[in-house]
This record gives sequence, structure tokens and C-alpha cells, in this order.
Amino acid sequence: MLTKEEIQDALKENCINLRFHARGGQGGVTASNLCVEAFHGYGVCQPRFGAERMGSPTESYVRLSYNDDLVRNNEQVYGPHAVSVLDSSLLGEIDVTAGLAPGGWLIVNTTMDQISLQEIVGRDDINIATIDALNIAMEILGRNITNTIILGALIRVLPMFTMDALADAIMMRFKGSIAGKNVEAIKRAIDDTCVYENSNAPKIDFSKDTKIQWQQVSLGLPGYKELDKAGVWYCDETVIEMGSKLVNTGSWGEWDMIWNKDTCTDCAQCWYICPDFAILREKGDDGLWHMVGIDQYHCKSCLNCLEVCPVKAISKELKQGPASCAAPQ
Amino acid sequence: MPLHNRRGKKMSVEPMKLFFKEIKEPVETAMIGNYAVAGGVTQTDPDVICAFPITPQTQSVEGLSDVVHQGRLKAAFVNVESELAAMSYATAACAAGARAFTATASQGYLLMAEGLPMAVGWRLPLTMMISARAFNAPNLSIWNQWEYCQVNSELGWNIIVSENVQETYDASILSVMISEDSLFPTIFVHDGFIISHSVQKLTLIPDEIVRRMTPKKSRHTIDPSKPGVWGGIVTPDYFMEGRISLDEAKKPVLGQMKSTFDKFKSETGREYNLIETYNLDNSSKTAICTMGSLCGNVISWMTKNQDIGLIKIRAYRPFPVEELRKIVEEHNIEKLILLEKSDALNGMLPPFSMSVATALYPLKTLFRSFIVGLGGRDVTRDEFNIAKKKMETVTDMKGSLYTYLGVRETKQKIVGVDQ
Repeated sequence: MLTKEEIQDALKENCINLRFHARGGQGGVTASNLCVEAFHGYGVCQPRFGAERMGSPTESYVRLSYNDDLVRNNEQVYGPHAVSVLDSSLLGEIDVTAGLAPGGWLIVNTTMDQISLQEIVGRDDINIATIDALNIAMEILGRNITNTIILGALIRVLPMFTMDALADAIMMRFKGSIAGKNVEAIKRAIDDTCVYENSNAPKIDFSKDTKIQWQQVSLGLPGYKELDKAGVWYCDETVIEMGSKLVNTGSWGEWDMIWNKDTCTDCAQCWYICPDFAILREKGDDGLWHMVGIDQYHCKSCLNCLEVCPVKAISKELKQGPASCAAPQ
Repeated sequence: MPLHNRRGKKMSVEPMKLFFKEIKEPVETAMIGNYAVAGGVTQTDPDVICAFPITPQTQSVEGLSDVVHQGRLKAAFVNVESELAAMSYATAACAAGARAFTATASQGYLLMAEGLPMAVGWRLPLTMMISARAFNAPNLSIWNQWEYCQVNSELGWNIIVSENVQETYDASILSVMISEDSLFPTIFVHDGFIISHSVQKLTLIPDEIVRRMTPKKSRHTIDPSKPGVWGGIVTPDYFMEGRISLDEAKKPVLGQMKSTFDKFKSETGREYNLIETYNLDNSSKTAICTMGSLCGNVISWMTKNQDIGLIKIRAYRPFPVEELRKIVEEHNIEKLILLEKSDALNGMLPPFSMSVATALYPLKTLFRSFIVGLGGRDVTRDEFNIAKKKMETVTDMKGSLYTYLGVRETKQKIVGVDQ
């Protein structure tokens, strides 16, 4: 592990890049903001530009350096030196180590061990730290908010700023006992972080640019010569794989929707109201359409169908697993 | 009827809390571009705020509604049904003597178009923020592009462009100063999402200093004791005289902007200019010329490419033609790389490049225009490296003067890149 002096030295003429993976509502952007506020140098925080929704996978980036010119860059971060994952359910959904510099750190809020994590992400040239932030959050904060706690693990492995500076930033942002409890939780996290230094990982080189050339152009997607004129995406063509079919909106929600075939009258009100076409229907032998189930891969549990059903044929059950912590407070 | 949250307190946007009280000394803080603008506008004490929300401009209006709602700002916050209504209302309020602010982006700017010329014609010191975002064609995009260059830029509004959050906060105050000195409306622009949604550190100016820089001066207004016809029809006997008088009045505006920047510097210590230059006396006698957040990317890239300079245009309208000529001549710049986040679809140069080309015409400086970053495509060192390489072989002004950079031709080929 690099010493505090080595990190501070690296920050003089290099930029340290961080990436946070979370779900909308878990506070990933707040965590990255706090890094900028706690750092006694130049810093910028950007969300991944676009529309964030409750429960959807989100990314935010941080650039920190004592050299103003380096932080002035307005690019998105391509080569992070540390990646923090607030919700371990994202590991199966997103390539969280994409672009992570060799010798960099993957920090995950989980109770999993490092061997399992290494297998999931398929990288043997990075170091891993884990923190059971959920446990600390429930114990100290009394609710499942882990965004500040993961910062404790982050500064344990990359001491870019001190605990005192972070505490000051938290006192500025939060009021009253919440602020104090967050500081206490972070201090606990620094001690409780499990650090697995990988003997195969090289020493991290902050001066090395790990961005893949032309990465921002997304080679592999159709070029302009392969796209239809007028920017129309026809449903029966395979040039562009149909956008929303590929998006696992089902991972965003906190409820599993359950359909009762016996009560259902096939009135189709749920089919009309569903924003994700997640109500599945088939044409029967009688020539009429019948409901056959709910597409859980796309259902983000907005509960519209449950509200609209006149015979209560649809019910809900709380999902098991980390995605449920994106529930609105 | 004030909105309340569950704890019974008035709702508020967290970062705006800094602006609820008098700011007594320079405060260093960190916030996104849009809230910084909302704060800056709050400090200039507008009488009327009237804007319609559109991504990526929304939080600026949201922040202002909050300070008005909390009673910090004694302004009329007017909800309207469209951008055209916002522009019409803000123009009329300004004509009646109010200090007025509005904000928009992309399609909203297009919907405003009918109302835009009047604030210029009536010499109204209106200010508007634009969070630059692409126009929707052939697909919808909410991301960054320089749409403010593509239309409406010849209507006579002043336009200043900001690189980062500090600059856009300062521009919200500078615009009021420029508008009221020149009696022409001013737009200040930052790049949508890239600046509007990035958290950056900035230093806030104490309220006392802002008040001193933006005093409310008396000017011509609609006044019942002095009846007149505003915007009435004229026959061809009069119209051209009206236009030339606007042109005459526009001539001193660049000078007024300069003295505004000087005044701002003496009060805050932060130095701005119509055009800012970096490392122009370099070995290759080549410079990149661009605006907005791209300048930050270029400056970072220049730490490793010290044979290239940067010319950063802050005042886009009126365009500082003489100043640009002088800079290019004084530093013996032989080649210019123009980076532009808009295109023109007519075989000629895109609008920003066209402005630069007009200024450069008597100097015969070699240049090429590179179209980058449309609809939020990130612009990185790859684009700068290839533009620099392409420019090395340019020896004349023949052939097409513009190319797109960073765009896929096929799944495996990038336009203009040999792989």
C-alpha cells in the first residue's frame, strides 16, 4: 500500500481519478462531492452525464490534483485509480473495473471475500478492499445509507485527504446529529475495512494514461454509413439492437410483482398503463389476448399495474438483496 | 402557499442555502454550474425572474425559485407556459424598468426566437443564461453542443462564453454589468452538463461588492407620464435609420465589455478579457482557437504538448475581430486549429469558424476547422492529437476547410483516422 507521503507526492504533478458506482438514490454523487470538498487542492466531480433515475445504475467521477491545469480538463474519467462500488448487486450488471489502472483499488460494500470478487471482475492486476458498510450504517445511522461510509475505506487505501478534512466537509453539508453520526461511521469504516493487497498487482503509476485510444467514440457500434437515413430506428431491423430491450430496468426496483392468474379477468388495464411493456400477453385459441405473466427483467416496480387492477390480481413482495436499499426514504 | 416537507420546514435546494444570508466575505465552496448561476443572479438582485425549465438549464431556475420562496430575494418569480412567453414577459418587464433574468437551452432557445430581436431593438439590459445543448435532429439529444452559435447569434444580443463553474458564476454578474452599460441584452453561456452539472470549487463574491458593481441606474423605460409607441410599424422611410442607429450603438460594446472586465478585476482580483491567450509564442507557431469548456481540456493537454498555444474566445458577440487580428499578428501565428462544437450542413464553415475566418481574412493565416463533441460526445486528447497532426501537413487554403473528428464511419473505422 502506498504511504500517505507517496500519495501526496503523486498528487503534485498527477491527477488521481476516482469512480463511484451506485444506484440512483444511494448517494454516489454526494460521496464524490464530499471528496472534492475534503481535498485541499483542486478537484472536480462530474456525474455520468444523462438522466438518473431511482434504482438505476449510476456513475460519478472525481479528479483531484494539486496542479490546477490537470483538473481543468472537462473530460469524463476513463482511467480511474480507485473504483468504489456502493451496491454489490451492480457487480453482475456493470463492468466495474473497466479502465481501472493496474495496481489500482476496487472498493466494494460487501461481505464477500476477495477471491470471489476477483473471480467476478476477472482482474488479477488490481488490489481489493471490502467494507461491510450496510452493517455499520444500520448500527450507527439506523438506516441503510452507505455513501459516506465507503469514503472511510477509500481514504484507508488512498490517503488523498485526512479524516479531519472529510469530517469538516461533512459538517458543512449535513446538520445536527446526522453529521456527527456520519463522521463516527466513517471512522469505524477506516478500522473495519478489509484490505487485500494483491502480490500480482504492479505498483500503481499515476502518470500513466490508461484511457484506451478513441474509447469515447465507442467503436463496435454502427458507423454513419451503416445507419439508416433520418436517424430512424426501425423495430424490425437488427442494425441497432433495440435499446430498451437490452436495459435491465428490472434491477432498478425494490418490489417483485406477483400476478394471480385465477383472479385476473384479462381486462388489460395493466397492459395499457405499464410504461415498460412488462405485462406479457398472448393470443389464445379463442382469438383473444390473454395475460400470461410479468416480465421481471424490465419491470421496475412502479406499481402502476397494482394501482389500476380492479380485481387485485397483482400484488407485490419486497425484493431480497441489495437493490432494495435504493428505496426512497 | 409555501410548500413544506415532512418536517414542516419550507423546502429548499441544499446548495442554495449559502445565498439565503448576506455573504460578507469571499467564500470558497463547491457546487454545480447551474446553482452557481442561480446564486450569482440572486446577488445581482433581479426584480423579475421568468424562465421555463429545460434540461440542462433546470437547476438555475429551480435555485432561483428557492431563494424567492425563502424570502431572500424580493423578486417576482413568474411561471409561464413556454419559452416564448418567458422571453416576451422578461422583455416587457425590462422595458418597464425591472432588472430581469431568464434562462433556456436548445429547443427553448428556438421557441424564444420570435421574441429575441425586441430586447435588442428597444435597448433593454435583459440577461439570459444558456446551458448549451444540441438541437434535436435527426435524433433527440439533451447533451452539449454550441446551439447558440447556430441560430439567433446575429440578432444583436451580446454573448459571453464561460469555461468552468467559477467563470459562469462570474458571468452571471458580469452580464448584468455589461447589459446595463451597453443597454443591449446579454446572453452568458456555459456548456450543458459539462459545466451545468459538474461540481467544481469556486469563490463567491461578497454581496456588498456585487451591489457596488451592479448599481440600479436610471434608464429609458415605459412611463405613463411620458406616453409613446414602442415597436409600432414604420414605413420604409424610417426602418433603415433604426437599424443603423443600432449598429452605431453596438460599436462601443466591446470597449464597454473590456472596461467591465477591468472593473471586475479591481473588485475581485479575477482577470477576464475578450480573448485570452496561453503559450502563443511556441515553436510550431500554431494555436488552437476555441471557446467554453473545451479550453479546459486543451489546457490540460497542453501540459504535455508545449509546442501548441491556445486562443480562448470569451466574447462571442460582438466578435472581437480587431483584437483577434492583433493577437495573431503580434505572436506571428501561422496556423490556427479551430475546434467547434457545431456544424453547418452547407459545405461552408460552421458558424464559430466563419467568425474567425472573417477576422483572419486580411492576414491569410492558414486554418482548418474541426467539428467535435456534437450531442455530448466527449472531446479528449485523441481529437487534439489528430488535429495537431493533420495541421502539420496543411500548407494552403485549398479543399474543404472543415472535417468532423471523433465519429464512426463504420463499426471499426473512425472518420479521418488511419488504423
